[in-house]
Amino acid sequence: MGAAPVHPVEEKSRLVSGPRATWSRSQRWVVLGLALLGAALIAVSYFLPYWHFALFAPQYPKGLNLVISLTGVTGDVQEIDIINHYIGMGHLGEAAKLERQLAAWGIGVAGAAIAVLIVASGRRLGWLATLPAVVLPLGFVLDTFYWMYRFGHELDPMAPITMKPFTPTLFGEGRVGQFRTLATPEWGFWLSLAGFALVVYAVVRRRRVCHACPLHDRCGLVCPKALVGVPGDPGVGGR
Amino acid sequence: MRILAVPLLAAALGVSLGAGCGPDAPGPSAPGGAVDLKQVMAQRGLTDADVIAAAKTYTPTGKHDEYVILASGGHGGNLVAIGVPSMRILKYVAVFGPEPWQGYGYGGLGDKLLYEDSKQGGKQITWGDVHHPNLSETNGEYDGEFIFVNDKANARIAVVDLKDFTTKQIIANRLVMSDHGGAFVTPNTEYVVETSQYPAPLGGAYAPLSEYKDKYRGAATFWKFDRSRGRIDEAASFAIELPPYSQDLADAGKFDSDGWVFIGSWNTEMSAGTEGKDKPPMESGASQNDMDYLHIIDWKKAEQLVQAGKTTDINGMRVLPLATAAAEGVLTFVGEPKSPHGCDVTPDGKAIVVGGKLDTHATVFEFAKVKELIAKKDFEGRDAYGVPILNFQKALRGQQEIGLGPLHTVFDEKGNAYTSVFLDSTVVKWNYNQIGQPTEALPVHYNIGHITAAEGDSASPDGRYVVAMNKMAQDRHLGVGPLLPQNFQLIDITGPKMELIYDLPIPLGEPHYAQMIKADKLKTIQVYTPAGTDPYTDEVSPHAVAAGGERIERNGNKVDVYMSVIRSHFTPDTIEVNQGDLVTFHLTNLEQAFDQTHGFAVDMYNLNVSLEPGKYERVSFVADRPGVFPLYCTEFCSALHLEMAGYLLVKPRA
Repeated sequence: MGAAPVHPVEEKSRLVSGPRATWSRSQRWVVLGLALLGAALIAVSYFLPYWHFALFAPQYPKGLNLVISLTGVTGDVQEIDIINHYIGMGHLGEAAKLERQLAAWGIGVAGAAIAVLIVASGRRLGWLATLPAVVLPLGFVLDTFYWMYRFGHELDPMAPITMKPFTPTLFGEGRVGQFRTLATPEWGFWLSLAGFALVVYAVVRRRRVCHACPLHDRCGLVCPKALVGVPGDPGVGGR
Repeated sequence: MRILAVPLLAAALGVSLGAGCGPDAPGPSAPGGAVDLKQVMAQRGLTDADVIAAAKTYTPTGKHDEYVILASGGHGGNLVAIGVPSMRILKYVAVFGPEPWQGYGYGGLGDKLLYEDSKQGGKQITWGDVHHPNLSETNGEYDGEFIFVNDKANARIAVVDLKDFTTKQIIANRLVMSDHGGAFVTPNTEYVVETSQYPAPLGGAYAPLSEYKDKYRGAATFWKFDRSRGRIDEAASFAIELPPYSQDLADAGKFDSDGWVFIGSWNTEMSAGTEGKDKPPMESGASQNDMDYLHIIDWKKAEQLVQAGKTTDINGMRVLPLATAAAEGVLTFVGEPKSPHGCDVTPDGKAIVVGGKLDTHATVFEFAKVKELIAKKDFEGRDAYGVPILNFQKALRGQQEIGLGPLHTVFDEKGNAYTSVFLDSTVVKWNYNQIGQPTEALPVHYNIGHITAAEGDSASPDGRYVVAMNKMAQDRHLGVGPLLPQNFQLIDITGPKMELIYDLPIPLGEPHYAQMIKADKLKTIQVYTPAGTDPYTDEVSPHAVAAGGERIERNGNKVDVYMSVIRSHFTPDTIEVNQGDLVTFHLTNLEQAFDQTHGFAVDMYNLNVSLEPGKYERVSFVADRPGVFPLYCTEFCSALHLEMAGYLLVKPRA
């Protein structure tokens, strides 16, 4: 194993503050902590609402609410189903059945992927393990859009009220019949998005922190040197 | 004050009349296009006082009242819920009579109460004369859970659950032939007290009027209330036999006087009218004595004697005999002038106020004195039935000169009493702790009977409002033929002087008593949850269906239809039966949305039920008339309400 080449950033910091270990122990703990926090946020989001639809019409002074989470649809589902049946729309409970069943698995896969990142993100293609975390929030949005499109376009032709096919507005204000709709992301979505960002950031950050380390392509977010320390290794610095 | 009030009020109302038009609101329009308060006043001929009264009562759309009056509907046989201060009628609650809107008496579950439980002597009675509704109490305070009503004409008591404003139980009193002193509750609703009015042989037996003194009796029935079930427990109830005087209004003691019930009486003369002879009619015969008897009942002692088995059985009711009640100190009398009506315990439980109908006073008895006299057996005599009588003067706190025809008294939080004065047509305000001080009389229109105040007969009255329940309306409202509505008048009692601020005509019967409860004490439900709840068991009916479970089951000539109801269809909507089949519709309203009520009517079969969200109903009938009968939703439910229909096809017998 040859001497590590000097990274330009390290070069710069060396010019500013003299020689300094770029993979200080505290930095590595930060990297690991970010990844674990990201994983925790994604896990917590499983229990929280991802999206909220509010429907307003004169005869519903308090509005109607529809809350979508990874596991299902809650809120005024029956009432919205009753209203929807007049235009021949299917039952909300019938939407995304497969996805809801897979949601727990999806969270599990994301967790497993983060575990992979923790031990092997330095390896080639190790970054692919960030994909589940990326897929979760973005996939949710795309899938929700897909189902809204389908529901709005597969209207029963025998329905009492004939409507042109439409896609309910997924973000912000929309209008269907006498209803004004307001769709907004909820805590679960924001947490999963933040989780995804933290995980990706941890991986990127690791590249910077570990670049100079001779082991940088062998290990993951958790650094054996940070945990154990190797006496006499000039690379181990900081606290 | 007045001169100041108008500009101030104009300024205040100006906010809504003039300055209130934001970008969303269209410009205001008043009669004739006037936007200035003074112009409106001039156009409508309103005085400053009128406008102030309007501002005190007007309740804009979407705003709610502070209090709810629950008034007897008199011979409407129902209850009336009224918001205060708006005095808007919120609902009639059907009790003793059929009511199509509520689907009560037209084939549904309520028919059992109305046509079976409420029978008297095997006779079906479909009206009632509701007199004195009484709210359930906890520690002498209205708790807003139940209200009890009596039917004077047919001696029945009903329990109305205020969770859904629905009559849940009707009990026919098998002892007496009429009641009046009811329904009054003890401070923790241990008992609902119902006292007879016109004496008759107990249990409905026959005896000629010549045997009036020996065979005719009154009774006070103590109905045991089982709050956990929300029903009266007939088996745990008892009655006390009373002399054949006309027992009248009653009230239960509280605090110091808890454990006691006080019942006014008249006709201690024991007049039965002319008896077909040359005796005077009852109005004269019953008005000869200057004093009648206030009945003082130690109900806790009565309860002990009943538990000790000192009762006789009459028509399945445990009755404590009059002789036992008199001998054991359960029943004591004190004189009260004269043919009284009201009998009201003060909020502190320390005094009993009696309005002497043919006397000019409100008579106030000091309970501590009454109790001591009874404890010392300091009696001045006994009546013909052996009931001990206390000395009037010794039991008295004092007598307040009121006017002609004082009746019923309610209270505020400051020690003031408000007495209805029938002949004078006034409400008189006086203080039961400072008897003899000047009183204030407010004219009301006309011939006030009962009176109610905000929580005014509870342990802690709120003051605020008094309502005069006037028997006659005369010129107060537009003419509607010779039968006029009664007239409720709202009185503001917050100021130094009483102010009359609103008139409400009551066009459905002659209300008697009412109680006024703080609105936020009423915890009403919005829907029956879960769907399929039977309102009479508070449980999901075993016959309720979920979506997909609808079916028609045939068993010989029995046809059971398990139907779901939801916007805007019945499932199934086509029912074919044979003439003579016994058809039962089990209806489940699957709706869980607020105010999404459906109705279910079968044309030509006299069937109509109300299906509030989540409610289970059952309609049973013999399809005896062949033909094609539309069935439809009778409550406008949706844009496709008219389309919410189907057919009952009854095939003629071959």
